[in-house]
Amino acid sequence: MKNIYKPKEAIVEDIIVESPTIKTFVLRLKEPFEFKTGQFVELTLPGIGEAPFTPSSDPNIKNKIDVTVMNVGRVTSLLHTSSKNISLGMRGPYGKGYPLDKFEGKDILIVGGGVGLAPLRSLLFSLFVEIDKYNKVVLRYGARTPDDIIYKESIPRWAKIKKVDVATTVDVGDTKWKGNVGLVTTILKDLPVDLKKAVSVVCGPPIMMKFTTLKLLDLGFKPQDIYLSMEKNMSCGLGKCGHCRIGKFYTCKDGPVFTYEQLNDIHDIWE
Amino acid sequence: MHQIYYIESNQLNILFQKLKKDYRVFSPVIKENNATKETDYSYGESTENEPFVFNPYRTVEPLKTFFTPPLDKAVEYFNQDESTEYLPKIIIFGVKSCDIVGHKVQDFVFLEGVEVDSLYRLRRENTIFISSDCTDFKEVCHCLAWEILPHPTEGFDLNLSPLNEGYLVEAGSKKGEELIQQYKEFFVIAKDTQLTARKVKRENLIERLKKHLLPQHLVSKDIVQRLMKEGYNLDTWQQFMLTCVECGGCNFICDTCHCFLLADKKEGNINKKLKAWDACLYANYAKVAGGANPLKTRTRRLRFRFTKKFDFFIDNLGMPACCGCGRCIEVCPGKIDIREVLKDLAKKLNIKT
Repeated sequence: MKNIYKPKEAIVEDIIVESPTIKTFVLRLKEPFEFKTGQFVELTLPGIGEAPFTPSSDPNIKNKIDVTVMNVGRVTSLLHTSSKNISLGMRGPYGKGYPLDKFEGKDILIVGGGVGLAPLRSLLFSLFVEIDKYNKVVLRYGARTPDDIIYKESIPRWAKIKKVDVATTVDVGDTKWKGNVGLVTTILKDLPVDLKKAVSVVCGPPIMMKFTTLKLLDLGFKPQDIYLSMEKNMSCGLGKCGHCRIGKFYTCKDGPVFTYEQLNDIHDIWE
Repeated sequence: MHQIYYIESNQLNILFQKLKKDYRVFSPVIKENNATKETDYSYGESTENEPFVFNPYRTVEPLKTFFTPPLDKAVEYFNQDESTEYLPKIIIFGVKSCDIVGHKVQDFVFLEGVEVDSLYRLRRENTIFISSDCTDFKEVCHCLAWEILPHPTEGFDLNLSPLNEGYLVEAGSKKGEELIQQYKEFFVIAKDTQLTARKVKRENLIERLKKHLLPQHLVSKDIVQRLMKEGYNLDTWQQFMLTCVECGGCNFICDTCHCFLLADKKEGNINKKLKAWDACLYANYAKVAGGANPLKTRTRRLRFRFTKKFDFFIDNLGMPACCGCGRCIEVCPGKIDIREVLKDLAKKLNIKT
């Protein structure tokens, strides 16, 4: 009898410090585990608690998953103080990921805010593997301060990949920061994308998602071409526990990736 | 329609005792007998020789308690020798039409969708519903407003309709038929006159209930989703919220509310996940770790409860998640009445109920 609430065992193989509040946990699965980019998992600290995360690694790598975690709540703070080689539980993957088939031949604008770059990194890896299928990948990433930028060493490497265009910004700079200062919407000007064949993918805190979406609409992106990763209280992951409802959808099973067209007649989606 | 039988009251009582040898039998008992108030009935496990009691209307507890108890073990994990739960066969007497309709929502949540909750399914398979016609109603009963009749029409294994010195017994499933075959010495085939008498009794109750409900001008199934969509920003929510004490009683007592928390616990060396009922009227229900809370006010939470019932479930299941049992009305210390909330929306939107 299959029990849908039972987690599989995963060993923390490595812990990478990304920023003062964010760490990436490299997990090795004891059993086969596959996910599609954009799908999420429920990670269990055995006997303590569980929380949802979208893997940040390349889905083509089997049996090893990166999860990038910001220290914000009860489970994440305990995760942050834990050490290598501990056992975690993992359930999933849940929900619908990014529809890569719909991105083929397109200019793909990816807008990330803060730790929201985590799921987008998995998407980027998926795109890079088959970059010939896509016309262009444009990444725009904003963090609060230069210290808060995650994947600091990777971002410059991504910028060197063919067909990939990267720009970053911080809300508040420091003495060493030479780049753009301002919200992520300030680097959404003069985008090197052809709106006739462009899609956009947004992930970040709710307020950033809201203003980015408004900006993208303003730029001429169609609601059906704006893909949003919604963050709600996904607990069971199976559309049963009720917590992550938005309108007629459950974020866990109908999302977490939605088009703005799916959500735009639902009240209070940015709350 | 299946074959309908007749059983005399004293025979039913003998059968009731016999069934307890093979099943755990749950049946309503009088909770509080008070001449000045409505008598309440409550499910209890029937002990040896305890006589059968007929409940004229639904029990206090919702039917869901048998399938998703308030605190339930979801799973043990990382544990070599897992204990397998022994699931007894259960018979539940006194289930009413509203309970059966409400329970469709629980079945939809736990038996359909992405994956099946296997423990729920096992419990469901191990349970026999012996439902019965309502012969009376409570003040808060309003099944007819949702076009639900006060006698079960589907979803039962056996249904009892009281008649003179006995009961008509209708089988509604294979399980029900088998039970009758197993104990066939207790039953005779019902006569046409008895079937007619059942029909008359049922119609009489419907007429009485209609007389009770008509002056209330309740909102109907056809317009309720419109009220959710068009009434989203009305002050109704704020106004009715004022007396909400966030006890979650309306959620817990509801036949259709199904939300639960998954919590982790360590007992000795055993890791467990527990399923505990949760309530959307609770302040932290939708809060995420980052601090965002889409339901940060009572107004929003009250509205969320209603839009779940009358918008989400109409879209996803094709029916409102309310069976008109009125349990939430009885339980609410703030006297928030689901009928009045809906009527207020209709009134403010100038939509005829």
